[in-house]
Amino acid sequence: DKLLSEPLSHPDFFNVKELFSLKDLFDARVHLGHKKGCRHRFMEPYIFGCRLDQDIIDLDQTMQHLQLALNFTAHIAYRKGIILFISRKRQFCHLVESTARECGEYAHTRYWQGGLLTNAHIQFGSGVRLPDLLIFLSSLNNVFEPHVAIRDAAKMNIPTVGVVDTNCNPCLITYPIPGNDDSPTAMELYCKLFRMTIIRAKDKRRQDEVFSELR
Amino acid sequence: MAGNRMQKIGSVFSRTRNLLRIGVIKKPLWFDVYAAFPPLREPVYRVPRPRYGKVRDVVPPIFYQEDQVRARFYRVYGSGPRPFDLSQSNYKSTCQRFVEKYNELKEEGKIEEEKLFEETGKALLASGVILQRRGTDKVIQQDRQDVETRDPVLHLQLQTVLEELQEKKDQEEQTPELAETQKEDPLPS
Repeated sequence: DKLLSEPLSHPDFFNVKELFSLKDLFDARVHLGHKKGCRHRFMEPYIFGCRLDQDIIDLDQTMQHLQLALNFTAHIAYRKGIILFISRKRQFCHLVESTARECGEYAHTRYWQGGLLTNAHIQFGSGVRLPDLLIFLSSLNNVFEPHVAIRDAAKMNIPTVGVVDTNCNPCLITYPIPGNDDSPTAMELYCKLFRMTIIRAKDKRRQDEVFSELR
Repeated sequence: MAGNRMQKIGSVFSRTRNLLRIGVIKKPLWFDVYAAFPPLREPVYRVPRPRYGKVRDVVPPIFYQEDQVRARFYRVYGSGPRPFDLSQSNYKSTCQRFVEKYNELKEEGKIEEEKLFEETGKALLASGVILQRRGTDKVIQQDRQDVETRDPVLHLQLQTVLEELQEKKDQEEQTPELAETQKEDPLPS
């Protein structure tokens, strides 16, 4: 189908690079990580250095990862995929839910019951459509363990995009974004970026459908 | 309705690709997008084993040349006279100004290295920044405590005397003000 295959030929069809800059990431304090003792072993390649025991995340790598992740979400939204925002931080649960409502997508910021993805047909009834993308705005739950949904998405073959802080495990997340997940400014920046990409992708889809109908 | 739930074997993409090749699954929405824009690292599960033996710290510590000046500044003067106001992104603390002045004087090269520190202190005093040395503060506090414990009666007497002096000063200030206002009144008319 030409409508779906054409966007894949451009490297940056939705022009996500213009939505953020290095200065924006720095001002939103995305580069600040946790202390040296909290560091996860697999986050070491994404860390720039350690300033007086506090980890500083390499923003050049974050830019690359963020561009890939936003591009992926834009394409999924263009193809009318279901997106689920997940964050177990109580401080930002309202922000995440309002972001999801504005995008027209879904959010889950409460306690994750065991079989929501893996046991979906029994929990929700048969014929459920599972989400096509999970976006983690903080990949740990309230006990500082990796969120169960990361493992469940890998089980159900659902791709994930997630913000990984210096104490998180980025192995199972398809498109990790190394960055701070504790500051309010950083979370507002991420919510703003995801909201803008999804709305842009959906508008583009509506326009392209209208054009193809006219032809 | 087949599926592969083994999250520890390969990545999501490799499993779906193999299932598609067999033909037991319909192509999912995200497959083409992933194939066109793969991530920098394939999301394969790795066991998070802790390091054994001698632990090598792979992450480099961040230190700048100016840190030596900053360390000396904080050791001598304590934390600066003004608190840090981080709401402005272009805020320069007293320590930062000290470091910049130090670098300027160093580049000029006319002053010797040992005297650079004192010269920057004097230069900052000249530009209006008051720096209090950490040692002297402690001495003043100790003196005050000694005075209070020795003679509370004397302290009270001193307080009353000071208050009287201040009242006298206020009265003196009021009378010249009255005189000034009287002088001003005839002027505009």
